[in-house]
Amino acid sequence: MAVEEFEPRIVAFMCNWCTYAGADNAGVARLESPANILPIRVMCSGRISPELVLRTFREGADGVLVMGCHLGDCHYSSGNHRTIKRIPLLKSLLGFAGINPERLQLEWVSAAEGPRFTQVTKAFVERVRTLGPLSEEVAA
Amino acid sequence: MDYKNVLTTCVYCGCGCGLYLEVLDGRVIGVWPAKTHEITDGKLCIKGWNIDGFIYHEDRLKTPLIRKDGHLVEASWDEALSLVAEKLGTIKAESGPDSIAFLSSAKGTNEENYLLQKLSRAVIGTNNVDHCARL
Amino acid sequence: MNEQPVPSIIEAIRQTVAERLQELDGVVALRRSSEGVAPHVFQQGDDLSELEIVPRYPLTTVVSRLHKSFPEIRLGIVARGCDERAFVEMAKRNQIDPDRLFILGIACTAEEAEECHCAAPFPKHLVVGKPVAPGSPNPVVAEYDNTPLAKRNAFWRRQFAKCIKCYGCRNICPECFCEDCAMEDPAWVEPGLLAPPFPVFHLIRAMHMASRCVACRQCDLTCPAHIPLTVLYDLMRRDMEATLGYIPGEDIKAPPPLSVTLNEAPLLVNTGHMD
Repeated sequence: MAVEEFEPRIVAFMCNWCTYAGADNAGVARLESPANILPIRVMCSGRISPELVLRTFREGADGVLVMGCHLGDCHYSSGNHRTIKRIPLLKSLLGFAGINPERLQLEWVSAAEGPRFTQVTKAFVERVRTLGPLSEEVAA
Repeated sequence: MDYKNVLTTCVYCGCGCGLYLEVLDGRVIGVWPAKTHEITDGKLCIKGWNIDGFIYHEDRLKTPLIRKDGHLVEASWDEALSLVAEKLGTIKAESGPDSIAFLSSAKGTNEENYLLQKLSRAVIGTNNVDHCARL
Repeated sequence: MNEQPVPSIIEAIRQTVAERLQELDGVVALRRSSEGVAPHVFQQGDDLSELEIVPRYPLTTVVSRLHKSFPEIRLGIVARGCDERAFVEMAKRNQIDPDRLFILGIACTAEEAEECHCAAPFPKHLVVGKPVAPGSPNPVVAEYDNTPLAKRNAFWRRQFAKCIKCYGCRNICPECFCEDCAMEDPAWVEPGLLAPPFPVFHLIRAMHMASRCVACRQCDLTCPAHIPLTVLYDLMRRDMEATLGYIPGEDIKAPPPLSVTLNEAPLLVNTGHMD
């Protein structure tokens, strides 16, 4: 009997100026990215609040990727300074609450890094696949 | 500047938690749970925490209202009570005392409930008395 | 030999307040009446024998309300270590004017320090009482690194299943002053669910407490379901200190690190994203 493989549902928040363009770059170059990714464009990764990430998990995401510009490249100069402090803290908090912190990942992907975009997303999907569905870690 | 905390009892349920209404210059600005109260022990439920929500609410009735020509108009207490007494008397005479029922409130005091059942039984002459939780 | 009787802490603080009331518009402290003990603003002429120091209420919230209603008022506060820390964090966020508040600090007793597992049971502006040693660490927090993920998960699921969503933790917290609270926003927390959804509801608050929680334990005392919220906030505080070197309530000049740039509040550890 064939067992259906678990396909993780991943939401990826991408900053408009860098990562979203990088994802576009990957598409234009015909590089394959996993279909598990639901992309959500935001103007800056610094806009990603903890409640947004938590609600995303609540709505059924098994993993959340937060992606933005490399330090120094932020279109709003220091938006990603907030991201780099908040996301690791939120990961810690998930760990304290007994939810695997690897389900949340922060990555910098620039507009020119199409190949890196596909590499990061593929690796994350596989990582979350081994972690299993989130529904097994939170109450219904 | 007149700041004070006034101990009172929450009106929302039979537990009767003790809480303080925080009053600044005559206006209620907040709520504190009563930490020295035997029942409350410094804790409140969401209703107790929001006990001050209705005090200044714009929908709160400030005067009696009487329906005239299909519209509710402001009236005095005398006018309203006279109308109620007159109508209750008329209904009792035309349809008998058991055509009237009195519904009280678990939020009311014991004394208010006593008065209402006295009105029902002694004045109108019916045993049709019950309270809101039975609706 | 005639020895002067040493005044008790309560007598000493009453004396101090009486003296300071000559130059202040009021002193925020606890007052005992026939009804019980509640926050009060003592003014000149008030009967100071009614001043009490227990049970603890978040007196800084009273100061904040008064500072906003009366822009000129100059107040004192009878403050424990946690009250002073709460004041520091509120002052940074423009909730209290530090130029118009005078801390009349009292030290907690050893029993009080132990009850709260408090790391700093006395304020810097100590006026009455002697500092005692910190309380022993909370055993759940101390063992947390050795607790596996699944056990942590089971622990919090059980705890948060008791939550009746009274918002008491948020209402009593001296640092929770937002007019539009994220915990009430239906965009983040679905209305109408009891117990509120795990982990969204409680982790929003835990995350918001990251640079604010001063370990006053009022939330623990106010939770009708006895959820040990401060365990989570203690862990966050430990993380904040390790990654950003930030201790809430410690330094009034240190900006809240999560809101400012890396130049103003740098990361102390490399989280792998420093490129």
